Amino acid sequence: MLLWLYPLFLASYAYGSQHTNNWAVLVSSSRYWFNYRHMSNALGMYRTVKRLGIPDSNIILMLADDVACNARNKFPGSVYANPGRHLDLYGENIEVDYRGYEVTVENFLRLLTGRLDDSVPRSKRLLTDSKSNIFIYLTGHGGNEFLKFQDNEEISAHDIADAFHQMYEGGRYNEIFFMADTCQANSMFSKFYSPNVLATGSSVVGENSYSHENDFDVGVAVIDSYTHYVLEYMEHVNKTSRLTMADLFTSYDVPKIGSHPGVRSDLFPRPLGPQHPMDQYGRGQGWTVEGGGEWRGRDGEAYKRGREALITDFFGGVVSVDVEDEFGEELLFPPAPEEKTKPSPKPLPSARSASDSSASSQLSSSVDVFTQAYLTLFFGLLISIVFKGGYSWRSRSKGLVEG
Amino acid sequence: MDGQSGFRDPSTIHFQQDFIRRYIIGSYWLIIVLALPLWWQTTSIERLPLPTSEVYLQATKKFQLPLELCADSAFSGHVPAMQDLIRQSASYLDAKIILGRDCSMYQFSGYAVLPGTQLAIQDKTLYCSPDLPVDNFTSVLLSLVAPPMDRRAAQYAPRYRLSFTLLNEDASAGQVIISWDIQKAIIQHISPITSALGTLHNFTIESQVQFHAPLAFEPQPLSDGTYGLTPEDLTVFINSAEWTLSSSSSNDPVLHFVLFVPSTKRRPLVILNSDGSSSNSSAFLIPQWGGVVILNLPPPPPTMQFLEASELRSSFSTFSRQLLTLLGYPRLHPSISSLRKTALTPWQIDSLLRQRMHENIVRSHDTLRSTVTLVSQIEGMPVDDKVHSQVQGSLKALHELFDFARTHLTLEEMLTLSARALTLSSKAFFHPGMLALLYFPAEHKYAVYTPLFATAMIPMLAAALRELAAWRKERKARAAAAVIPEGDKNVNEPNSSDTAVSADTDAMDAGR
Repeated sequence: MLLWLYPLFLASYAYGSQHTNNWAVLVSSSRYWFNYRHMSNALGMYRTVKRLGIPDSNIILMLADDVACNARNKFPGSVYANPGRHLDLYGENIEVDYRGYEVTVENFLRLLTGRLDDSVPRSKRLLTDSKSNIFIYLTGHGGNEFLKFQDNEEISAHDIADAFHQMYEGGRYNEIFFMADTCQANSMFSKFYSPNVLATGSSVVGENSYSHENDFDVGVAVIDSYTHYVLEYMEHVNKTSRLTMADLFTSYDVPKIGSHPGVRSDLFPRPLGPQHPMDQYGRGQGWTVEGGGEWRGRDGEAYKRGREALITDFFGGVVSVDVEDEFGEELLFPPAPEEKTKPSPKPLPSARSASDSSASSQLSSSVDVFTQAYLTLFFGLLISIVFKGGYSWRSRSKGLVEG
Repeated sequence: MDGQSGFRDPSTIHFQQDFIRRYIIGSYWLIIVLALPLWWQTTSIERLPLPTSEVYLQATKKFQLPLELCADSAFSGHVPAMQDLIRQSASYLDAKIILGRDCSMYQFSGYAVLPGTQLAIQDKTLYCSPDLPVDNFTSVLLSLVAPPMDRRAAQYAPRYRLSFTLLNEDASAGQVIISWDIQKAIIQHISPITSALGTLHNFTIESQVQFHAPLAFEPQPLSDGTYGLTPEDLTVFINSAEWTLSSSSSNDPVLHFVLFVPSTKRRPLVILNSDGSSSNSSAFLIPQWGGVVILNLPPPPPTMQFLEASELRSSFSTFSRQLLTLLGYPRLHPSISSLRKTALTPWQIDSLLRQRMHENIVRSHDTLRSTVTLVSQIEGMPVDDKVHSQVQGSLKALHELFDFARTHLTLEEMLTLSARALTLSSKAFFHPGMLALLYFPAEHKYAVYTPLFATAMIPMLAAALRELAAWRKERKARAAAAVIPEGDKNVNEPNSSDTAVSADTDAMDAGR
């Protein structure tokens, strides 16, 4: 009897979806008090992904400035995303992983590609594997194919596309959902070329992404329009929701948002949802882009088969737990000796790394010698020309003229 | 001639000396020329050549792990089906089934299938009734030789940290577990596993007790006075924001084991099935992450308590089962009984070793291929000697593994080699130096460098060209002066006057 059940028991492990964990990278790349809204965009997303179950250890939150503790903040320690100040987004339980000057293009790319120094702690690492679904949210000031970081550097769409490809090659994700709320945000995902990436943005090329509301007590705009409506929609989603990505995308309301959001699904193999709602995408009031809203991958959508992309695929927490069956009898071990000597570690790194480092030091020292020799020669020549060279040249040139 | 060229002949400006002026202009150019290599060296990216073709060649190779199995002649009818099935479902095995020899002698070196009254396993020998139907026999044997990898198992890592945490939900609510006999519990339940699988992984164990570990949600009160955890609750059970479950002392992957003691206000806390009935289990496993056991202590509680090893027994035996699942240790086929009454059989450990080795080889092939592909695809990506030597090292380990697998190496040595190949290849791929330059389009380069260099270069070029023209003219004049005899000097009026002037300045200079 048990014998026949065995294959069934194994089959039950084959999960419906391909991912086993969810991660989120939320970036607000702008400094300064007047960019309050970008911080609250990212914090609003942070609240939502946390509410939907992604644990803090799997959320990388990057905030380029700390508006909560800004001297101009009338409500210290709080960040609000609505004029009524109903919900404190900063709250009591928040973990900002990269803050202030740590939010740089380099750190962002290192985080994505995993090329971090050994000294970087686990909380600042994106410890994903090939079974991870990642939600990446960027907000800040952008332009055509770039996003400004800290008001002094920028990341281009090419850099993000390359980073995603490195992640793909390194087996660091199963699927990525990319969302950008910046001016001309749709250009940010135009250069992607790695599979299993779904992207959406707030505005087409040549279009601004607008702020939603001002709070007169805070004194600045408190949230961006696109993010506000996405977050509002996400409030309908709970952990067991069956709402699809198509439902989210078709909820975009151009007159309310004030810009034309875009979708890119040509790299994403699963259908976004049942055909009929997504058919309506980009049609209706407010959409002015020729042939409906900007949706790269519209043509391929009809041919996609398989499980629909649910919103909770990217905003879920622990995908499944396994309740221990009581049949598992106690494991028996031979009586253990009191003092167990630990198995000695494999002789893996020591000998190797030693030879590695010696080789590298040799090489680097030879490079140094070359540079030094070169510099000495260069400055020596310079000095000799300045102080001495003149005399000998003088006599020679005199000779020439006289001759 | 002055009028024709449009600018004054530099040699006619009497307060300048030709050689000083030329020397100054020349020194500018000299500095530029000398600085060129310096500029080249500081702006170029170090891209050492990677052994691309070798990597591609290696990545196409299929590794076949030798596996020798001796079956008693009583099973001669089962062998072809067995061989087919192994070939189909585990292509990484090169299974050789020896038939008919006296396998009881053979069992010391390899695996043996011997006739017996019931399905049982002892060390590396399977006892099996020859009357067992072929299908059953092959599925049993396959579950031993090449069991499918559990999806809940964590990815292979040469080092793991096991973190054991005792969480008091609320120590202020009436009862607190102040400590536990973790050392004894680990010796009894965990060390046998860590030492048996010591060839696969190197384990570090850490433990802690916490006194305030609130849940992020409210468990549902049930009609019978207990509190229930729905399946959705279980997915958010770990409150990672408020519980610090592992130290951050290293970056090795961590397997977490949490013993959760609910607050006295919410006791007993039970796990509910999806239909709402209470499950008789008090533990659950989070794939690739770890395991949780809920410990409901009996109702009349002493306020302070020390948990003895005997009280930890059921919890830790659950932990040990969870640990085995997380490490990918295959479950024994339910119809087989183990004769030694130990949880780990050498045969299954060997199967796990083979599986992990196969996984490592595939992963290091993928990583190496990705490394060379990326480096050739992305032009601004540096490759320093560290990366270079790591790629070489990984390749070397793979070569060794492929060349000597059949003859010299034991299973453990092969695993060590595959682990080294994997570690080095992923170190190379994730080397912090392998960060590509940011995208900088050509028009940006022109926009940035033109204002900078054009302003400096135009006067320098103009001066150099003018000087060159003057020098050539001078040379021509000198040549003409040498050809024409002294007496005819007057014919060549303008040139001779030029020479005279420069000769004058020189005379002046010499007189000074």
